[in-house]
Amino acid sequence: MDCNRCDEEAVMHAAYSGQHLCADHFRESVEKRVRRRIRRDDLVPQDATPEDPETWVIGLSGGKDSVVLTKILHDTFAEDPRIELVGLTIHEGIEGYRDKSVDACVDLSADLDIRHELVSYAEEFGIEMDDVVEDDPENMAACAYCGVFRRDVLSRYADDLEADLLLTGHNLDDEAQTALMNFLEGDVEQIAKHFDASLGPLSEREDQEEFVPRAKPLRDVPEKEVALYAHLEDLPAHITECPHSSEAYRAEIQQLLYDLEENHPGTRHSILSGYEELAGIAAERYGGDDGADLRECSECGSTTTREVCRKCSLLESLA
Amino acid sequence: MRVTVDVKGETTHEIDLEELGTAGGSDGRAEPTYADLLGAVDLSPHEVSVLVDGRPVPEDQPVDSDEVTVLRLIKGGSA
Repeated sequence: MDCNRCDEEAVMHAAYSGQHLCADHFRESVEKRVRRRIRRDDLVPQDATPEDPETWVIGLSGGKDSVVLTKILHDTFAEDPRIELVGLTIHEGIEGYRDKSVDACVDLSADLDIRHELVSYAEEFGIEMDDVVEDDPENMAACAYCGVFRRDVLSRYADDLEADLLLTGHNLDDEAQTALMNFLEGDVEQIAKHFDASLGPLSEREDQEEFVPRAKPLRDVPEKEVALYAHLEDLPAHITECPHSSEAYRAEIQQLLYDLEENHPGTRHSILSGYEELAGIAAERYGGDDGADLRECSECGSTTTREVCRKCSLLESLA
Repeated sequence: MRVTVDVKGETTHEIDLEELGTAGGSDGRAEPTYADLLGAVDLSPHEVSVLVDGRPVPEDQPVDSDEVTVLRLIKGGSA
């Protein structure tokens, strides 16, 4: 089967668009979607100048998604003095897993010649996820602890690095799953927060001075295509599943979406597109309701809605 | 034709294409596709990549190799 755009042999078929593409046209198509998303989300502000560049911190885990995002952002902005990229990698203390993906991050940053920062839960909090999973004082899934610690590290280091934007490699499958989960949970306020935190165009988001804005420019690209891009570009992506990963509900939604996508190609795109529009409406409805409850954690000073933030209370129960 | 489907890091399956064909390829075509092959081992085309001789192939194409490698997508942990 030939590529729809040239005589080369196709390497993929996208049922949602009906396209068969060769390696070159496929890569071009992925890059185009990421750049279009950067424009639509207004990620490069009009007032960015070479003298006063924007600092974009990329959450670089070493998995395929963050590695592909870093590569495309680098290729897009390497010659643009208005944008400076920094890769931020977090070592959670998971033996035999994170060590190798850290190597992938170091290799990629060196190849692309971008600044790279490596931080660890051990140095930041005096804990390692392997031990947290053993202790499990709150009787929770590993991802529930890890997510709290990761968000804390990402937002603190984004501050320290004077980031204007924090970018993560969430793909279409990730975001369609989250959208469906939020919808099925009936949590409209959470949907509104999703818009202001990472989904909405920067110019349309409610001002959140306490937090560095986030962006997910890979969210128009299906997970399978992200993996194919990494394969074709021979990127040093790490390919082992986290041994503690256990998001049962998300896995159920993921399977549901695979089945829907198979029978109704384009379902993930339409879920996310409709969700983003609804999230924008929800954000207007809930706009301004949020900031009033924010305060400083009495232990660490981070912004929280509680007396003691979630990270500090988890660290307390792990002590 | 018998096709060896090697799901990397998991199991290797032997699939008889004729049986797959008579069982009715998902779209009723005479020639089973790589997607039909994946269906026979309970995998969705959206959770794997299919390689023939190390090269990715479109899953809607008829199977024309007796050895197929399947790579499962690994959750990235995006940040």
